[in-house]
Amino acid sequence: MGEKRFMKGNEAIAEAAVRGGCRFFAGYPITPQNEIPEYLSWRLPEVGGVYVQGESEISSVNMVYGASAMGTRAMTSSSGPGISLKAEGISYLAAAMLPALVVNISRGGPGLGSIQPAQSDYLQATKALGHGGFHCMVFAPNSAQEAVDTVYEAWEYAERDRNPVLVLMDGCLGNIMEEVELPPMKEVIPEEAPEWSLSRRNGRDYQGNITPIYTEPILEGLNAMAGEMYKAWEEDDVKVEEFMVDDAEYVVVAYGIASRVSKEAVLKLREEGYKVGLIRPITLFPFPKKSIHDLDYSRVKGIIDVEMTIPAQMRDDIELQVLERCPVYEYGRSGGCLLDDDGVYEAIKDIVAGGEA
Amino acid sequence: MKQSFVFTGSGGQGIMSAGITLAHTAIDMGKHATYLPEYGPEQRGGSAKCTVVINDDTIVSPLPRMCDNLIVMNEVALAKFIDDVKPGGVLLANASRIKGEIERDDVRVIAAPVDDIALEIGDPRVANIILLGILIGATEIVSKETLIESLKDKFKDKKPQVLEMNIKALNSGIEIGEQHKIN
Repeated sequence: MGEKRFMKGNEAIAEAAVRGGCRFFAGYPITPQNEIPEYLSWRLPEVGGVYVQGESEISSVNMVYGASAMGTRAMTSSSGPGISLKAEGISYLAAAMLPALVVNISRGGPGLGSIQPAQSDYLQATKALGHGGFHCMVFAPNSAQEAVDTVYEAWEYAERDRNPVLVLMDGCLGNIMEEVELPPMKEVIPEEAPEWSLSRRNGRDYQGNITPIYTEPILEGLNAMAGEMYKAWEEDDVKVEEFMVDDAEYVVVAYGIASRVSKEAVLKLREEGYKVGLIRPITLFPFPKKSIHDLDYSRVKGIIDVEMTIPAQMRDDIELQVLERCPVYEYGRSGGCLLDDDGVYEAIKDIVAGGEA
Repeated sequence: MKQSFVFTGSGGQGIMSAGITLAHTAIDMGKHATYLPEYGPEQRGGSAKCTVVINDDTIVSPLPRMCDNLIVMNEVALAKFIDDVKPGGVLLANASRIKGEIERDDVRVIAAPVDDIALEIGDPRVANIILLGILIGATEIVSKETLIESLKDKFKDKKPQVLEMNIKALNSGIEIGEQHKIN
C-alpha cells in the first residue's frame, strides 16, 4: 500500500514528478497551475533537486533543455498562454531528441482567455505543440490519482523515445482535491544517466553532441525516424477506457474532466434504460482510433463528443474514424464556464431521445 | 449516500477553509470526497465558492449543478446561488449579513447570525467553523470527533488557544444545528 494523501491535482502532479525521478524544474507563474511550481520550489531542494523560477516561459523551457541534455529528469509546467510561449523550446527539445515532461493545466482561450478551467488546448497539444511537424505523446488523466500514475511513468516514455511528453489536464482537475495513493520514490542515480547524455560523455573522446541543428539529409532521416516512432506509438502505447460500449447505441467520447461528468450522465441514462456508453481517450496522441473505428455501426446510431470547450476540438479525430457511418454530435461549455452533471445529462438525453423519436 | 455541498461568500470569510475541512474529515472517516475551489483573480474580497462532494463510493463527477446543501455567507452569494440547492435540500445562511427574506419554501432554511456568534466567542474568524458545526448538528454528515481531529491537525503549528477557539465555535454551531436536525 502506498502513502495516501488528500491533495490538489497540481500538487499530486508535483509530488509524483519528484517520486518519478524529476530533479529539475523551471517555470514561470500562471493560473491555474501555480501549485505545481509552488510545491516544487520547496520539495525539489529536499531531494537534492533544483527549482528555478525563470524570468520568462522561454528561458524556463530552455533551462529544461540544458538540464535534460545532462541526463537529468527535467520538467516545466504552464497553462495555454504560457505553453504557446514555450512552443519554440518544446520544438527544440524534440529536434535535439531530449526527454522532458511538459505539463499544461489548461484554461479558457484563445489569447489570454480566462483564468478559469477549459479544455481549449486539445488541438495545440495533439497537432502542433510547436513548429516543424513533430509530435509528443499526450496523456490526459481524469483524476488526481491518474495524474500521479501518469507523471510517475512520464520519463520512462520520454527517455525510451528521447522525446518530450505532454500531460494535458484542465484547471478544474488541477485544482480539485482528491485522495491519492502515492508510489514509492524511484531511485535516481546520476552516474546512471542515459548513455547519450552529456554527463556520461564528460571527459570522453566522442564526436557526437546534442544539437537541434542538422544538415539536410540527416534532418530528413530524423524526420523519417520520428514518423516511425509515431506509428509505433499507435501500435503499442494507446490508452483508452471503454465503458458500457458493448451494446451502446450512442457512444459519448470525452477525455479529462469532461469524461467524468459524461460518465455520471451515462450511468444515469443507463438507469433510465438508454443504451449509452463512453469511450475515454487517455492518450490523446496516439489517439485511440480503433476504439471508435471498430464500433459496430449497424448498432451505433450516434457519437457524442463532449468537451469543456466550444467548438469541440476532438471532433475531426473522431470523424476520421466514424467515416460518416453515423452522425457526430457535440456538446460543450467554454470560456471558463464549467460543464456540470445536469447540463451534460440533458444534452446527451436530448440527442438520444431525439434519435429514438 | 452521495451528498454535495456548496460554500459561497467572499474572499476572507473562510469559505475554502470550511470546504477543505469538511472534505478532509469525510476522508478521515473512510469516505470519498472531492473539493473544488472557484475564485477570481482577487486576493481578498472577490467572490469565493467551493464545491465538496462526499460519497461512500468513488466519486464519478465532481461537478454537480445542483447541491444538497448550500452555505451562503452574504447577500451577494445568496442572490447568485439561491436556485442551485435541490428541493428538499438545506440552505444555511449567515443571518448576520443576510437580512432579507429567503425566498425558497421547498428547502430547509437554517439562518443563524454566525458573524455575531463568532464575535461573542471572541474571534470573527471562526464564523466558518460555526457554520460547519451547524451543518454537522443538522445533518450528521461527518462525526464531530473526526472533525475535531482534523482541526487538531490543521492547527498543530498554532498556539493552543486557536484550536480551543475553533472547538468552542464548532460546539456552539452543533448546538444550533441540533435544533434543526433532519430526521
